[in-house]
Amino acid sequence: MKALALALKSPALLWRNGSRISGHLIVGLTLALVTLPQAVAFSVTLAGVPPHFGIYAAIWGVLFCALLNPSPVFHGGPNTAMSAAIGVTLLPLAPPFGAEYMGLALTLGLMAGLIQLLFFLVRPLGRMLDLISEPVINGMICGIGLFLIFKSLTTFGGLPLNTEVEWPLWIAWHSFLAVLEIGNLQAIEVGLVTLVTCVVAQQFDRLRNWAILLGIAAGTLWSQHLSAKLGLQNTLIEQIGNLSSIGLVWPSRPLFTQEAMPDIVAMVPGAVTLALLGLFQTVAAMRRMSRKVGGFTDSRKAIFSDAVTNCLLPFLSSLPSCASFNRMWLVHRLGIHSRITIAVSALLLLLLVLFFAGVIAVIPMPAMAAVIMLLGANMIKWQDIKPHLKSRGEATVFFASFLSVLFLDLFGAVVVGTILAIAYSKWEQAHPNISLRGNVLKIRGNIYYGSLPVIEATYHRAIDRLDQLVIDFSECNYIDPEGIRWLVGAKAGHKVGLIDRRSGEDRRIPDRREGEERRSGDEAAPAERRAGEDRRAALRRRTRDRRQRSEF
Amino acid sequence: MPAFAAKLIRIALPTAALGAVYLLALDQHAQREEVRQAAVTLTPGCVEKLARYDLKPGERYASPYVLQHTGDKTALRGYSEEDVRAIQRGCNIIDDTQGTLAAERGRERWHAARFIRGSHASCDHCHQGIGDKQDAAGNRLKGSLGLGASWVQADMYDRFTGLLLPFELRQMQCYINSSNGYKPNIADDVIRDVTAYSRFLSAALGLKIANHYEEQGIDEIAASDTLKQGDDYIRGEAIYKEKCIRCHGPQALGTFADGRVVAPALAGPNSWNMQSRNYFYYVSTILPGFICRNMPLGQENTLTNQECRDIAYYISNLPRPAGDKQGPLIALRQQILMGVLPPLVRLTGPGPAGSPPQAQARALPQGDD
Repeated sequence: MKALALALKSPALLWRNGSRISGHLIVGLTLALVTLPQAVAFSVTLAGVPPHFGIYAAIWGVLFCALLNPSPVFHGGPNTAMSAAIGVTLLPLAPPFGAEYMGLALTLGLMAGLIQLLFFLVRPLGRMLDLISEPVINGMICGIGLFLIFKSLTTFGGLPLNTEVEWPLWIAWHSFLAVLEIGNLQAIEVGLVTLVTCVVAQQFDRLRNWAILLGIAAGTLWSQHLSAKLGLQNTLIEQIGNLSSIGLVWPSRPLFTQEAMPDIVAMVPGAVTLALLGLFQTVAAMRRMSRKVGGFTDSRKAIFSDAVTNCLLPFLSSLPSCASFNRMWLVHRLGIHSRITIAVSALLLLLLVLFFAGVIAVIPMPAMAAVIMLLGANMIKWQDIKPHLKSRGEATVFFASFLSVLFLDLFGAVVVGTILAIAYSKWEQAHPNISLRGNVLKIRGNIYYGSLPVIEATYHRAIDRLDQLVIDFSECNYIDPEGIRWLVGAKAGHKVGLIDRRSGEDRRIPDRREGEERRSGDEAAPAERRAGEDRRAALRRRTRDRRQRSEF
Repeated sequence: MPAFAAKLIRIALPTAALGAVYLLALDQHAQREEVRQAAVTLTPGCVEKLARYDLKPGERYASPYVLQHTGDKTALRGYSEEDVRAIQRGCNIIDDTQGTLAAERGRERWHAARFIRGSHASCDHCHQGIGDKQDAAGNRLKGSLGLGASWVQADMYDRFTGLLLPFELRQMQCYINSSNGYKPNIADDVIRDVTAYSRFLSAALGLKIANHYEEQGIDEIAASDTLKQGDDYIRGEAIYKEKCIRCHGPQALGTFADGRVVAPALAGPNSWNMQSRNYFYYVSTILPGFICRNMPLGQENTLTNQECRDIAYYISNLPRPAGDKQGPLIALRQQILMGVLPPLVRLTGPGPAGSPPQAQARALPQGDD
């Protein structure tokens, strides 16, 4: 921001910073051009509202998020899952594209925004969103990448969209066959020209940032060439079309009338889904991308920015906004992490729509579909999948979330993945390491209601055999009231002694335990203790090495 | 150098893959075009139907049916050879959707069976008489889902969703609901040819655009059209065993003979799903309406309204696939029910009176339906 202000003041500085500013502009333009077709497609085909809803979301949604969200990689705007959720919620209530439908869509967005505000105000609710683990998010990203490829197939082949959302894999296969058999060959050519140009340009460092723009330009040129040769009425290549009717601001008002009340009440579950869909994606995408660039942003700030944005957008004829995995990926790949760039992209889109509607109009949709397919393919990265395959738990969670995106939906993926991830961590906690040496039963881990049956099994086997048993819980992290009651009960049996070799302070601060333990070794045999410590040290080294090897 | 080679590979591999896709697309397009140009082998039903309406290429078309029924000699614009082939293929698809009568099952029917989950469903199970059911005197029948009459109502507002549905989208609903399948792409030949055939039927029958004819759609039977005894599962089962079981089999799983469907499944994996409007719990007036006007074959309109509703209620209580929008849990439940219930009923219930259904099916006349 400072650089920009300075640059504006002094032409010399502007010259010096020229390359940086042009970098911002290129990335901003690429983002704007990539967002545009998504905005049009999401609003018309998924949400059932006119294209300006999506375009305003891509302008105002992105701008508000860039202003409110401190994360440098956050890119808001229209979103597939949210647009689809709007369509699914409203379709039974009113005919799409009608005035009532649009009013209800705005109301739905506002309700979702208010619910999101609740997630900001009630802190534990917001904290719940942090329980989505990294394999869940990466599984979702890979799933969404595939989904974007599938979803673009029909547009790529110049065919009408297949709006069916169930059985996405099967529909994708059908769409692929349809593209091969009845696709518009000219449209396929335009898409292929775009794809090949992008793929080639990506390989050269100088062209990398320009790759998508070059691809779109090549596709547009080829489509213009075909139209000139054969005539647009023969090629039938769909173009974005003229957007010149769209103005600077289009104020709107959500529908809150007495007659609409039953519909609004019926929309409440839909609004909750919409709010959660947005927040889950926002928190997950932001955390993932922040880690990728080595930064951190409090998820509460993202929740706040989303909530405020979504409360404002319904008054600007806009779809609700949330983080977009694919566009954030693009921001990351283009290598410029700055809120200015993202704000610039929103403003550029506004300028494009206002002043260059005629130029945008001839951009062919197959070229846009090709770009979206490329984005999808770039989201599936072996480097991100590989670390999850090393642990069985993580791999299961990863694949569950990946498959859930394809077989259920995004929300289903979040739920299934998160439940599995929590189940795995609980399973770990419920299986403490129990060792019986001589008459010492040592428990490493937690003593709580979940792990007690496991401990009891060994304990009873030991107590049947031995006259005297010592339970050593110096390496317990956590004992819940039930665990304490059990220990008290065991001690009351007169055969059991308890030891905890930590001093009072160390029972609360586990970090200092190591040093203290070395000083106060009286009960257990020294050799045995040393062996245990060696083992632990080796384990620590191994863990550290593994952590360094994987890039996370 | 290795970096350059890696770059070259990263460019060459995707380009080669995309080129292969393009070549494959060219090949598939050529094959489609070949089928479009090839002469059509009609099914026996279509030979008779199209000959009766005197379909042939020419400048003008005058329908013998219209001449006979109204005396109107007006000739309409005729059909090109390409149009005639499209109409013939459309007729084939309606008569034999699964392609059991075709030499090349998939190719000749535009792979229509690809969009159907079960192995039974064919358009003319519901749209009887190849979409144009008539009595012996050539009168069109009320509530017989005539395709010509449906086409002249080209765009209809859907009664349940309020959506404006063109004829092509209404065909898609057939694929999704009635055949428990998937939507073909709206630009697919399978949709276009059926539209061509339906349009030809409307011309051949002298139907006027935007008019409503009584053979269009279902003659729905609401509970208010009965003596209001309530719909009864037990009564329905009794009537089913008396009148329907002979063709449709003891658990309404349909019957086969010589690899062809004699009577389609009314329940089980080959039938319509739980989100079809044929499903009694979803829309309670449509299946009774169909039964009353179209069943049993050759004895239409003999069942009372109450009997039709009872039968429909009974059939809908038999296990069938879940609708796509009902989610994976209900789908799983229905799959388990469809797998477990029929053998259980076969084991525990009283066996069907008389001979096994296969033998009965063979004894039936081999009609279109």
